[in-house]
Amino acid sequence: MNCERRSPVTLPGRPARSEKRDGWNVVLEYEGESGGPLLIDLSHGRKWDLQDVDIARFKPFGMSIPDDPGQSRLENGILINRMGRTQASIWRLSEQVPDDTADPAFTETTEGQLLLALAGPNIFSITEKLTSLEFDDSSKVTPFLLFGPFSHVPCQTVVLSRSKRDGVLLLACSRGYGRDMTHAILEAGREFRLKPGGENGFAAAMKEIAG
Amino acid sequence: MDRLKDLPTLRIRTEDKVSFKYQGRALEALGGDTVATALFANGVRIFGRSLKYHRPRGLYSLDGECSNTMMRIDSVPNVRAETTSVKDGMNVEAQNGLRRQGFDPLGFMDALSWAMPAGFYYKVFHKPARIWPVAARQIRKAAGLGVISPDFEMAGRYDEIYPHADVCVLGGGPAGLNAALSAAESGLSVILLESRPWLGGFFDYRSKLHARAAELALEVANNPGIRVFTNAPVVGTYSDGLVTAFQRGSKADCFDERYIEVRATSTVVATGCIERPLLFENNEKPGVMQVGCAHRLARSWGILPGKKAVFSVGHDLGLEAAIDLADLGLEVRCVADVREDGQDPRLVGELQKRSIPFYRGWVATQAKGWNRLRSVTLGSVGGAHERRFDCDTLIASAGFTPVWGPIALGQTKMRFDLHTGFFLPERMPQNMYAAGRLLGLCDPASIEASGRLAGLEAAAGRGLDVAARMSAAREELEALPGTVRGSKLAMAPVKGKKAFICFDEDTTVKNIDQALSMGFDMPELIKRFTSAGTGPGQGGIPGHNLPLYVASSMRYQGEVRPTSMRAPLVPVLVATYAGANHDMAKRTGLHESQQAAGGVMERVGVWIRARRFSQEKSARAEVENVRNNVGILDGSTLGKFRIHGPDALKALQRVYVSDMARVVEGRMRYSAMCNEDGCVIDDGVITKLGENDFFFTTSTARAGVTAEWIRYHTRYDDWDYSIVNLTDAYGVINLAGPNSRKVLEKITDADVSNESFPFSCVRDFHIRSIPVRAMRLGFVGELSYEFHVPASFAQSLWEVLEEAGKELGMKNFGLEAQNTMRLEKGHVILGSESEQRTTLHDIGLGGLWSRDKARWKTVGAVALTHTEHQRGRLKLVGFKMEAPASKPPLDGSPIADGRVKGYVCTARYSTALSQPVGMALVEDELAGEGCRLPIFEDDCGGRLLYAKVVPMPFYDPEGKRMKS
Amino acid sequence: MALLINCPVCGKRNGYEFRYGGEDKGPRPDDESLSQASWCDYVHNNNCVAGIQKEWWFHKDGCGAWFTIYRDTRTNLEADTSADTSIPEVK
Repeated sequence: MNCERRSPVTLPGRPARSEKRDGWNVVLEYEGESGGPLLIDLSHGRKWDLQDVDIARFKPFGMSIPDDPGQSRLENGILINRMGRTQASIWRLSEQVPDDTADPAFTETTEGQLLLALAGPNIFSITEKLTSLEFDDSSKVTPFLLFGPFSHVPCQTVVLSRSKRDGVLLLACSRGYGRDMTHAILEAGREFRLKPGGENGFAAAMKEIAG
Repeated sequence: MDRLKDLPTLRIRTEDKVSFKYQGRALEALGGDTVATALFANGVRIFGRSLKYHRPRGLYSLDGECSNTMMRIDSVPNVRAETTSVKDGMNVEAQNGLRRQGFDPLGFMDALSWAMPAGFYYKVFHKPARIWPVAARQIRKAAGLGVISPDFEMAGRYDEIYPHADVCVLGGGPAGLNAALSAAESGLSVILLESRPWLGGFFDYRSKLHARAAELALEVANNPGIRVFTNAPVVGTYSDGLVTAFQRGSKADCFDERYIEVRATSTVVATGCIERPLLFENNEKPGVMQVGCAHRLARSWGILPGKKAVFSVGHDLGLEAAIDLADLGLEVRCVADVREDGQDPRLVGELQKRSIPFYRGWVATQAKGWNRLRSVTLGSVGGAHERRFDCDTLIASAGFTPVWGPIALGQTKMRFDLHTGFFLPERMPQNMYAAGRLLGLCDPASIEASGRLAGLEAAAGRGLDVAARMSAAREELEALPGTVRGSKLAMAPVKGKKAFICFDEDTTVKNIDQALSMGFDMPELIKRFTSAGTGPGQGGIPGHNLPLYVASSMRYQGEVRPTSMRAPLVPVLVATYAGANHDMAKRTGLHESQQAAGGVMERVGVWIRARRFSQEKSARAEVENVRNNVGILDGSTLGKFRIHGPDALKALQRVYVSDMARVVEGRMRYSAMCNEDGCVIDDGVITKLGENDFFFTTSTARAGVTAEWIRYHTRYDDWDYSIVNLTDAYGVINLAGPNSRKVLEKITDADVSNESFPFSCVRDFHIRSIPVRAMRLGFVGELSYEFHVPASFAQSLWEVLEEAGKELGMKNFGLEAQNTMRLEKGHVILGSESEQRTTLHDIGLGGLWSRDKARWKTVGAVALTHTEHQRGRLKLVGFKMEAPASKPPLDGSPIADGRVKGYVCTARYSTALSQPVGMALVEDELAGEGCRLPIFEDDCGGRLLYAKVVPMPFYDPEGKRMKS
Repeated sequence: MALLINCPVCGKRNGYEFRYGGEDKGPRPDDESLSQASWCDYVHNNNCVAGIQKEWWFHKDGCGAWFTIYRDTRTNLEADTSADTSIPEVK
């Protein structure tokens, strides 16, 4: 019997390479990816919500939680975003060490949210057509979180890297918006030749960030 | 018409031929033409007909300040020809009854103007009241600002953009360009908005300043800190540095128009000026145009405005234009200047050199001709002398008027400056800086210097230390010529009837006099009574003259103030406001398969859901299948939450009316939330996951605000709890019907017998290898399982269930079938069986309320106590139609003693009962069992339908079926 | 709603990311002491000052925090809140 898992996001591209992982069909690469920014579906990545009055006592994946709301920390493919005084989100962006989220303060939100990455040239020219969130705020140091409306939908957006109009941005919102959010981003990105990208494209961008 | 050639200022591309249609005729234009310049070049002089008197109107300005040149372009009515670039294949049609140039069947209206004084429509057509609808139709037909069909769909590509900047500069003239440069050189990011297609402002078309404009524009283009939007008129300025604008795109852009919303820390207003129209008899005849219009027509588009021209001006730019146009080949018969003195002697010398007669202290008093200007009478301002000149063009301007809209929107009062004759801001709004004309300056060098200073002021406002540069800039500005004395002439010395103060609304100076004599004495009131300035051009034409004229009439004792400005400062297409218009809706994980199964999908709040799977609207087959067999429904939109932490129970006690301490693991508890008025706002089930750890559901509509609600009502309590919205994390599949257990047993190893998994219980188990949380609930009144499944597995689980149910004939059911079945059970849907004023008691759910939990300050509890026995409320009742064959009243109201006594909430035909049943909220005297309800509904044809109040539920009152 | 609002978690943001939550009236009095009139006064009656008022806002499109700001109702701009230390903890 077919017990596969489905991503809320379907990108309109032809997969060149993909693999089955934990029930998910993960596209590693789409045809004709080169040149131009990519929109990448990372919804299969595991995500957790962590809430506690004393949130600093947690060390998920051996990492400490960033001190102030809006700060993010990226280590070994684990991204922790400080959302508020008592709340953080944890996104696993690559296959990693065993999970360390048994405490009841964690709630797995993998299923509740879609996760998209925008990577490459001109991505901030695309985002300014969809949101008034200030990704170019010079007072912020990457990676950082902006929690606000993106194409009218409340989103957690994390700028992983930026250089003028280029960079890498992650975006998480309610799963139900999968189709319309993808559509809105691709539409806005058409003039900048935004294309569907596979997970490998994201891994390459991450490698670049790591230096 | 041959264009002027080899002018460095030209903005047309002579090699680039564009063909378009006007009134069905194919015409040729050049690249860079606007529709207005293209038509003018093709000899069109009458562009439109006026609203009330059907007077011919022509090209007057070139920036679209009035409705004179509104055309129907590619089926879109009321497009301003002056600000629309002509494009290949464009179809341009005149509107306002202008069928043929030169002939208008309603042209006689002008002769009847004596019969239509100010406020004519207000006073005449409302007595008796019944004639107004008839009159309105005829007036609209005659006036008619374009025609649009109700099913018109706007073509084109629209987009939106939300850029940020430290400084937003409004206006790309010399002041704005300098402001942008000095701010960017201080290290700030700058956005510059310019409404014309190119930068340079009033430098651009002038022979001596053109090169300087090009130099500045190049410098700006090369500065990486400055982002330029041309073709982008400013629509509004708002608090905290929000500026809205829109941009017209070309073929190369990915939009035809896009909405721009800039958020900047500081704003520099360098919007320059327009000209103040000169008031005299027939001041809007085709052939009369403003100085800038004539000058730019020649210099930017290579078109001479006419052959023989008379100038009547009030500023040096007018003299310069006369000289320049004379050199370009226009026969200038004479130049009148309303000013007795103060002219630049150099310009006066140039006029003399060309033997152009120059009349100081003279002004145009009358234009003559019908469709075309034939002659002009000039007179001395004192009225003692007069002379007539034959001509085909009159270039007329009373003076300048700064474009103060963006400042006025910042809640700043404008005051009349006696020296310049301008309305200038009393003080600048916070973080807004003025430059150029808005400071009363006229000298080109001063205007540039003022721009540099404004850019630095903006930098200082942003917290940068630019004090030294600022004082240098200030010194530079002070060394240059300051403000210039401007003309304050309100009206030429004529007693004419046809001096138009507002072109759009055909308001004459005489109308203003009438309003004044009736006792209106404030410009703001006179504007409303005479409708001057309420047309499509807003204050563009009358904005300056109206207050000036009212003040000069000596009746008005207060300070001279212009009328209020409001956004949009320029008209914007609604399509542009809609922008890219991404419709953001949620889809469940089962969306595609629901659609593939023939689901009729509809928007329900933020979600898209399947209403039914049958052609037939009542979905009766779906109902029967659930009642007798087994059906399957996508219920994923249900709100789902986890609440955990030491004070989670306290938070639930605060918002739920029941005692949450009684919620136990393994069982579901149904409860409701009320607002402070005791009115019911939400219902759902709660179950316990562990100590101070709960899972609860809310209605689809409330899911988006549940966390907000709970946090709001505990905002003063320092409680430690956490809410996680899991609405989208779980798909929900509802398996319902007497055969549902048979389906389930085939695919799970868990014991799902009635003994080990009874009604209102919750169990976690696996179906195949998929983890589910199953709840036994009875919304539709049958044996039923609600599976909460991780959303990524929802489609797989659906397929497993479908496969297992195939041999039993399991079918989809949708919202319509569910609605009918829950109605038969008397289960309410909040918002359907309740409205704003409906309390928990009113819908018969008072039993959910625990009255002994006062210490939790439960939201709504106080009101529930006060309203428990209150009389005169609408109560929820069930009813059956007296005639079993009658159709259910879809909506409608019970009527008694000629009064509405409530309304029908839901009514459907019940297959189980073979008759229509329903629920209604009715006044308490009608709520008793057996009461007769006379129901009126829209299509009852005047014959009331009769129903009788009966006890609920209608179906399976003991609930045996859902508990089986 | 063009005003910017200073969210204690997210910083300065567009006003339309927020929902207004009314004047700050303090916690609800206990049930026992409430008459119909005093309860109604607490729930429904507002001071409607023309000037600076302390009021609740909810960051609906962002972090989901309820917090108070001071706003000048005459200019519809946020007033300086640096003097106020009573901004409640964010949950």
